[in-house]
Amino acid sequence: MLRAALVTAVTFSLAASPAMAAPAWTGGDDLPTSPLACDATPAKASAKAYDGGVPTKPPDRKGKKISVVDVPKLIGIGYFNATSKGIADAAKELGNVSAKTDGPTKANIDEQITFIDNYITQGVDGILFAANDPVAISPVLKKALSKGINVVGYDANSTPEARQWFVNQAQFNGIAKALMDSMAAEIGETGSFAIVTSTFTTPNQARWIAEMAAYAAKCHPKMKWLETVEAQEDNVLSFNGATTLINKYGGDLKGLFGMTSVATPAGAEAVTQAKKCGQVSVIGLATPNAMKPYVNKGCVKSVVLWNPVDLGYAATYVLRAVADGTLKPGATSVKAGKLGALQVVNGSEILLGPPFIFTKSNINGFDF
Amino acid sequence: MAPSLRRFLRHETILAVLVVVALVVLAAQSERFFTADNLLNQGRLMAEVGLVALTMTFVIVTGGIDLSVGSILGLSAILVGVFWKNVGLALPVAMVLAVGSGGLAGLVNGLIITRFRVPPLIATLATLALYRGLAEGISQSRSVRGYPEWFYALGQRDAAGVPVQVWILLLAVVVSSAILGLTTFGRATYAVGANETAARFSGVAVDRTRLLIYTASGLMAGLAAVIFVSRVSTTRSDMGTGLELDVITAVVLGGTSIFGGKGTIVGTVLGLALIQALRSGLSLAGVKGDGTIVVIGLVLIGAILVSNVFGRDGDG
Repeated sequence: MLRAALVTAVTFSLAASPAMAAPAWTGGDDLPTSPLACDATPAKASAKAYDGGVPTKPPDRKGKKISVVDVPKLIGIGYFNATSKGIADAAKELGNVSAKTDGPTKANIDEQITFIDNYITQGVDGILFAANDPVAISPVLKKALSKGINVVGYDANSTPEARQWFVNQAQFNGIAKALMDSMAAEIGETGSFAIVTSTFTTPNQARWIAEMAAYAAKCHPKMKWLETVEAQEDNVLSFNGATTLINKYGGDLKGLFGMTSVATPAGAEAVTQAKKCGQVSVIGLATPNAMKPYVNKGCVKSVVLWNPVDLGYAATYVLRAVADGTLKPGATSVKAGKLGALQVVNGSEILLGPPFIFTKSNINGFDF
Repeated sequence: MAPSLRRFLRHETILAVLVVVALVVLAAQSERFFTADNLLNQGRLMAEVGLVALTMTFVIVTGGIDLSVGSILGLSAILVGVFWKNVGLALPVAMVLAVGSGGLAGLVNGLIITRFRVPPLIATLATLALYRGLAEGISQSRSVRGYPEWFYALGQRDAAGVPVQVWILLLAVVVSSAILGLTTFGRATYAVGANETAARFSGVAVDRTRLLIYTASGLMAGLAAVIFVSRVSTTRSDMGTGLELDVITAVVLGGTSIFGGKGTIVGTVLGLALIQALRSGLSLAGVKGDGTIVVIGLVLIGAILVSNVFGRDGDG
């Protein structure tokens, strides 16, 4: 009887797996993609109606001091330390915002939800977030909106109706283009590469990989994708993942993409320790400080990013504008302090700007 | 029996006093802490850990441990999505099957421990990795979303003003304390934990008891998984990571001895209440996440020390 039950269970689980359809590259999501042109033609901006959420009966916060909590994916990594600094800078400049950063110590959606829930009970005026999962975070954010709290996201989105605005560091297809073009320039149009990402369900990484697959199919069709590994924004896992890829593919692996700010330096370290600097190109998203040793040694040639300090800064200014009522649904741009006017795209997203490529010539001018 | 009964009461009483003290202190720190809204909300948040902690009490009382509950939760959560969306079953059927799969996973744990005589720590450490790997493999790390509205009623709505999962938790508390305290099965559980050889020679069905307990542990993890999916409206293969630590903390704080033979459901419930109250109250008082973890660790050490001091009976 027991044996029969066991066999049934195993068969069930095995039967379930072929029913899943795999995307082009592992790690991408299955939302529609819109690859950019292969040359430098910028994307057409498309007008879209406002699709963000609306808080229920928020109190009048115009000009008053507001308390804001920032709940990133996790605390304790360089990237979110940088966004937190941007938020603190903006709060200081504005003068009437008191901001605090608090979040889980690992990129876990369960804990992030609990953090946000506790701050809702505490009665904050505004919540800034970077979601570990776009759908799972939405119920608690909708709860915040229903209590009249202003909700603005940055870095990693939730579903649109769960927040008022989302500050997008760069268009997904823009990042994908910058990454693929840099890789093609370094390993050639027929090179093979692998990807180290956070998890296959993290929203921004999944979007980037899906867009990279679409752009590569369009503009670099002969480049070969080998594998995607998950490393969960953890240093040791990223290093191990990169080393495993290097050992597994040997001379076939010409390039490594690091999709998180932890994976790229870990990948560069793995390549350095395997003594393959110059044979395996590492390209990815990372903070300049983490990559300075590798870029200065010549092991890594280009690092793609936006400025996360500016991202946190812009998010705070957007939250202040929303709380004051100066940024309303249907607006086409918003003033964000020293960054000037930022465009509204995609209905309720605010674009920070084009991606920035750090190379040996400019990386030493940055300190984050 | 009478001296050990006194020892039982001692730890739970100390814990009850601690809970009251904590509630008073935290309520004084923030006026939003002791509101019905907040307390019910905390009840909602602790339902999953609470359900698993009830069966974990049984497991630890037998002198064993189950480290795989978090992975079983992740696996069952994924299976809800897989059975519903990919295999195409009706959602209620998918829910029941997912809970059943949790029970099956627990059964496998129990079989490895009883038939192959592998120590529970090692067996469940291995299945922790196995079930998590299965969850990731089956789901291909895609999450399943888009459940019908009625499904969210389980995790997100209230019934008569109290969250639905709190009713389920209360029912589970009543049933498990009845089983542990009042039935021969409960007596057998204590006997197995206190002295397994003596229990076996006394005619207690040691292996069957263990098997049932680990299966129940898996079933409860499956039920917690369904509630969790309903609460966050999506399934992810990394759900429940780290759950086993929260559960074991609550159970051990409640006075259950890690060596087996001692423990009550009342103690576990008090332990759960204390940890959740601390998490909520400290956050409201402005203490950040890392500070809360330090406090919970200190409280755990303190509670065990205090009850050891009072319960000293000559064997260290």
